[in-house]
Amino acid sequence: MRFMVIVKATPESDKDGALPDPELLLEMGEYNEELGNAGVLLAAEGLRSTSKGARVKFSGKSCTVIDGPFTEAKELIAGFSILQVKSLEEAVEWVKRAPNCCPGGEGEVEVRQVFEMEDFAPILTEEQIQHKVRARAELPNQTANK
Amino acid sequence: MRFMVIIKASKESEEGAPPDPQLLLDMGKFNEELIKAGVVLAMDGLHPSSKGARVKFSGKSRTVVDGPFTEAKELIAGFWLWQVKSLDEAIEWVKRSPFSSLAGESEIEIRQVFEMEDFAPVLSEEQIQHKVDARAELVGQEKK
Repeated sequence: MRFMVIVKATPESDKDGALPDPELLLEMGEYNEELGNAGVLLAAEGLRSTSKGARVKFSGKSCTVIDGPFTEAKELIAGFSILQVKSLEEAVEWVKRAPNCCPGGEGEVEVRQVFEMEDFAPILTEEQIQHKVRARAELPNQTANK
Repeated sequence: MRFMVIIKASKESEEGAPPDPQLLLDMGKFNEELIKAGVVLAMDGLHPSSKGARVKFSGKSRTVVDGPFTEAKELIAGFWLWQVKSLDEAIEWVKRSPFSSLAGESEIEIRQVFEMEDFAPVLSEEQIQHKVDARAELVGQEKK
């Protein structure tokens, strides 16, 4: 099963131009290597501050673009990884061993199960599913259930 | 430049309702267009938060809270990873997505992804190269 591990942002992590603390970067690197060696880590990315981002809100046919930064830290993410594990419990156990991204304070990480194309079996035909599987297999950074 | 394009959750996505067949078709066409343009690096949808959990970190302690989580605004339903020239280009693509045909409101957030080179102010060249090499080993990272 694949799980997405979503690291929530904090006001500090989201400051314009903020770079992660080098010590944390190195600790995370070591942790990621451990996951990589265990065959668990499929992908990992950090996100730049929301000051370099934007939101597009759709309401019926109209859409509005809002430039960052965004202030509600609870809604913001700072990074993510994708894990291949046997269960949510296993994903959670790995996450508990991660370095605290906010050593001085509180951090939060969300763990969410990723849809596999087979999960669409109730609403798509086998052929449609295979079409989706093939399309994804071509993508340079796509992770897939083993 | 790489961007993570984040689809915010909604009451419907959290209920686990199957997507509207027309939306699925329109999304499929939109994705094909994006893929043909060489924009998509990766994409995935997420099951509702009822199948997930949160881990709260406080110093050395860890607390696990099971889903579901109630504030859809704080949740994500899916994402793409795109390779485009600028934030503006990413915005233009998002504006063309089928979300405009959905009833109610949808929100997409676009965030720039860190490249290892961005850490040059805080890491040595050697440390950066080490990270680049480690990443190259991962299944979902681009092989150069």
